[in-house]
Amino acid sequence: MKTSRDKDTRIPRRPFLWLAAALLFTLPPMCGTLSLWVPAIFLIALAAKFWMEPRGYRLRSLVWKLVLGATALVCIFMSYGSIKGIEPGVSVIAVLMSLKILEAHTGREFQVMVMVAWILCLCGFFLSQDLSIALCLLIAFTLLLVALIQFHRGSSVAFWPPVRTACKLLAQALPLIAALFLFFPRVATGFRFQIAQSSLSATGFGDRLSPGSVSSLANSTSVAFRAEFPDGRIPSSAAMYWRGVVMRRCNGLEWRASEEPASMLRSSQHTPEGEGIRQWITLEPYGGHWMFALDWPATPAPGTTLAPGNCLWSGQPIRKSKRYEVTSFPEIREKELHPRERKLLLEVPATISPAVWQLVQSWKATDPSPRAVIHTALQFFRTQHFRYSLSPGEYHNNDLDEFLFHRRVGFCEHYAAAFATLMRLAGVPARVVVGYLGGEYNELGGFFLVRQADTHAWCEVWLDDRGWVRVDPTSVVAPDRVNLGLNLFLERRAAAGQLQLGQSTLARTLARSQIFAEARLAWQTLNYAWDTRILSFDGETQKSFLGEIGIPNTEPLPLTGWSFAIAAGVIGIYAGWMGLFTRGGGDRVQTLYRKFCRKAAGLGAHREPSEGPSDFANRAARLLPNESDRIRRISNAYITVRYSAAATSVAIEELAREVELFAKKRRLRPLKLKI
Amino acid sequence: MKQPRMSRIYPASSLAGLLFVSIAIWYAAATQGNAAAYLLLFVLTAVFFVSIPHTLLNLVGLKVRAESVKPTFAGSEVSLPVEIVNQSTVARHAIKLSLLSCKGRPVRINHVPAGQATRVTLRFAAFKRGQHQIGTLCLECVYPLGFLRAVRSVTTRQQYLVYPRPAGDPNLPLECASPGENKLQTDLGEGDDFAGVRPYILGESQRHIDWKAVARGQELMTKQFSTETRGSLRFDFAAARFSDIEDQLSQLTLWVIEAERARRAYGLLLPTGEIPPSLGQAHFHRCLRALALFR
Repeated sequence: MKTSRDKDTRIPRRPFLWLAAALLFTLPPMCGTLSLWVPAIFLIALAAKFWMEPRGYRLRSLVWKLVLGATALVCIFMSYGSIKGIEPGVSVIAVLMSLKILEAHTGREFQVMVMVAWILCLCGFFLSQDLSIALCLLIAFTLLLVALIQFHRGSSVAFWPPVRTACKLLAQALPLIAALFLFFPRVATGFRFQIAQSSLSATGFGDRLSPGSVSSLANSTSVAFRAEFPDGRIPSSAAMYWRGVVMRRCNGLEWRASEEPASMLRSSQHTPEGEGIRQWITLEPYGGHWMFALDWPATPAPGTTLAPGNCLWSGQPIRKSKRYEVTSFPEIREKELHPRERKLLLEVPATISPAVWQLVQSWKATDPSPRAVIHTALQFFRTQHFRYSLSPGEYHNNDLDEFLFHRRVGFCEHYAAAFATLMRLAGVPARVVVGYLGGEYNELGGFFLVRQADTHAWCEVWLDDRGWVRVDPTSVVAPDRVNLGLNLFLERRAAAGQLQLGQSTLARTLARSQIFAEARLAWQTLNYAWDTRILSFDGETQKSFLGEIGIPNTEPLPLTGWSFAIAAGVIGIYAGWMGLFTRGGGDRVQTLYRKFCRKAAGLGAHREPSEGPSDFANRAARLLPNESDRIRRISNAYITVRYSAAATSVAIEELAREVELFAKKRRLRPLKLKI
Repeated sequence: MKQPRMSRIYPASSLAGLLFVSIAIWYAAATQGNAAAYLLLFVLTAVFFVSIPHTLLNLVGLKVRAESVKPTFAGSEVSLPVEIVNQSTVARHAIKLSLLSCKGRPVRINHVPAGQATRVTLRFAAFKRGQHQIGTLCLECVYPLGFLRAVRSVTTRQQYLVYPRPAGDPNLPLECASPGENKLQTDLGEGDDFAGVRPYILGESQRHIDWKAVARGQELMTKQFSTETRGSLRFDFAAARFSDIEDQLSQLTLWVIEAERARRAYGLLLPTGEIPPSLGQAHFHRCLRALALFR
């Protein structure tokens, strides 16, 4: 029971400690994305505050504040080359927060700091929406709550109670959060402005495929997308070619997609054949337009176009997690190739060396039919000691000779590019497809996880009688790559001593252990749930969800009303519940005894305030001789329960029963007489 | 003492900040279509909503009892002891207690455990002499998050007395001395000159206990004093030195204090009645009370 006068407006130390902890948890999203000096300054400001606070120092002078602020702005401009955009914006907020930390000293400023910290949480979500970051920010948010609670609790030094209160608040808020999340309208604001987008992590999906562009991703574990098969029809891992970009412009070992994606917007019309495979795909944001689906996608999702070559092309660049449904068919019959298109698909650069020409001519001389040429070319890769390697060394765009005749070592993009170029030289229309191959199945969540490391390139050739046919030259050189997936393939190689891997064996054994594998599986599932259930819940999803549960009216205003009505209801329930269970009003024994006194007063025996229970019992027994036994029993029970150490719940129940019977008896008596 | 159960709830100043932050988050989430930002917004709003009953119920089950106030002189501080009993089954935190009628500094009670009580003292300045109502006590809390302020007022019928401000000439007026009786008398323990000891009587004031004797291991003894009454004083209100009533009352108050200090019997002659000359704490307060309640 501490009391203190409310004179001290300085920020107490303990809430500030909590705030500092919360601020530390807002740092992780900043560390990877912002210039390193921004979080560094932030940390320095925090440390400086802890040094300054006991000594009574703080940033007082307005001139200094302005100078520091202006310097920070200039630094940000120099680091990013602009003041607009997400990273500079977040940097500005972080730097301002650092200044505020140095300056703050009153209770009011503490509140301001907490609010700015909330904004920092928001900024964190703009930098990354990864589940791990989200958990980090959730911890930060909780710590901010703890800081606020501790601040209002005053000088209490207990550690756990504020944490418990904060957790209680959060737990009670859970149903509300769910309700708001489901029902609060997602308004597409008319005043939309686009914050200049940050440069998202590079993937293989530019519009060009150059030597090394895929192999550089082979060690990247970041997630490309996740796929679910709602109908349970899962193709074999070797047949899981996830189609991405089709490259048509040949430049030797380098291939490009058509320069103008917009020109491809006339959608291709091919009749699909075979049974369709429905997929739900959750694409991680990567900044490009291409979307992925199993070979061959036929029904574009809303907002996407089925570009020629059967690729999915999104009108908007994919900057947030996107979930879509698509149906793919194992085969697409394309009737004919327009002569103009055929010409385009046979174009080869002028820089092809005579040696390559000679090679192709020699193949054609034996059998000029396309099938035979394809067969010979694959035989060539198989028999001429081509090797598949993650680090094939550096090739230039015109190094087709070098690859085919000298080094003969390459990754999938080398084989695909070389093979397609050779086909074109032989007069077979060919193109390169870049996408993903395979995927890791998550048993817990029932989905396939496809990583950037699964990026793959293969070829398609035109056969007049069959249309486009997929040819994967990599499968000839390294068949296991296709059958096993890259990771397993590399591991087998490593086991066979063929490949020197940089990682330590300890990490590798750890990664293979059962617990680790299960934990990884669970984490992936959680990630998947986060991506599919939370991140991709947008206006469209909400609309269909509301339609499903029977709310056809999805206007923003009634929806807002709905969500707040639910909120009010939940709060009302909480308030009633808490009020009921915390009211108390003395203990039960006291209440019972008071009830007894009330009843006795009704019979004419008023208890004086100064009268003790036994004195009153004696007097009441004299006044009410009929009830004297019961009065004494009640009184004795009360005294026992109240003052003896051995008060049991049985005794309390006894007392309750006696008190209950005390007044009833009089009303029962006439009833007895009637019988 | 009337104790309304429900408290009213008002926005605190920091609610504007929260509103601003929420709108900022909403705007950012809506323009970017960022579901995670939406989630943050909902967590923030939901926690705020949930904190409403917490704030509101933080004052429920608190019984406030103002205790009796010692009279003070105008111009000094009134100390109002208040007992707060927590009759609920959970601890109450961060309660601010203030008096509605005056601008005294509120008292903060950090923690009242369930089923226990705490006592605080409200201090505020006494400006005017006379009998005053304590009026309404205000219980306030912003716990746990500080965005809302729950207020519960408790009306008390308690009164407190403020004596007039002592001021004027501290020298006792000689002309007021009543003539005649100029004899030496032994007063009951009151006076200037030591006149021996007698055994301590239980319940007696401990002021005159011979503590030195106690320290020597003897029994409790009360020191007795004798005083020479140089004739009692009679302060007459009508013999005005000041035209203003308040100034006159201040002067009389000062004289009463001085006379009590000088251990000279004094009496008051007011237009409303007379208080015969005497000495001692009870008489002292009787005189001051008469002065405080004058007209």
